[in-house]
Amino acid sequence: MADCGFILAAFTAPFEIGTTPSSMLWMFPLLAAIALVYKATKMRVLFTKKYLQQSLLLFLSVSGFMVMAIAVLNLLSWLITS
Amino acid sequence: MANQPTNNRLPLEQGLWLITVALAAWMIPGAGHFLIRERKRGIILFAVITTLFVIGLYVGSIGVVDWVGGRIWFYAQVLYSPAVGLIGNITKHGGYPVYGRPADIGQIYTGIAGLLNLLCVLSAVYMAYCGRGEMIGHEEEDDNG
Repeated sequence: MADCGFILAAFTAPFEIGTTPSSMLWMFPLLAAIALVYKATKMRVLFTKKYLQQSLLLFLSVSGFMVMAIAVLNLLSWLITS
Repeated sequence: MANQPTNNRLPLEQGLWLITVALAAWMIPGAGHFLIRERKRGIILFAVITTLFVIGLYVGSIGVVDWVGGRIWFYAQVLYSPAVGLIGNITKHGGYPVYGRPADIGQIYTGIAGLLNLLCVLSAVYMAYCGRGEMIGHEEEDDNG
């Protein structure tokens, strides 16, 4: 019962995350979830191996695009401010 | 042709069935797919969307569900389940303040979980409309082991 209380209490105070570049890493679990749900709704028949492969491919594609977008925006901001 | 209903239900019965599937899918993520015998899909959707929502609540605390200060986010979050309204009722007096990056991440995670559940509701209703569970439900279960 006490354990249950501790677990519930963990949801009443925010987790410590600084406003740092590394906090952007939190986007990857979100992208993985989006890829998994999208493929689960999209595929006509869910074969485990094919589903995981396609989800991974989508996750890597979207992650790659996001990383490229971050790099381009950083480059632009560096060019403008330097 | 693919958009035509393929089962033999009466229009009223079909309408009630679609509403039941939509409500089930909204109340419990994945339940709509479970009802139309897409059990594997339902379990995956429940696990992924619920994990995403719980991580959002853990990171930002229940304070991220705030229908007074963050109404737009609340509309997205409540798509996860009507139970989110109960959390909103607890936090409406501002007893769980959250700021900065945890608030951002918590709101984004819980909001996206709600929007992904909307996608699942639409997917479950569409599959039910096409008579998906009746057509290939057993066949698919056999294929998937």
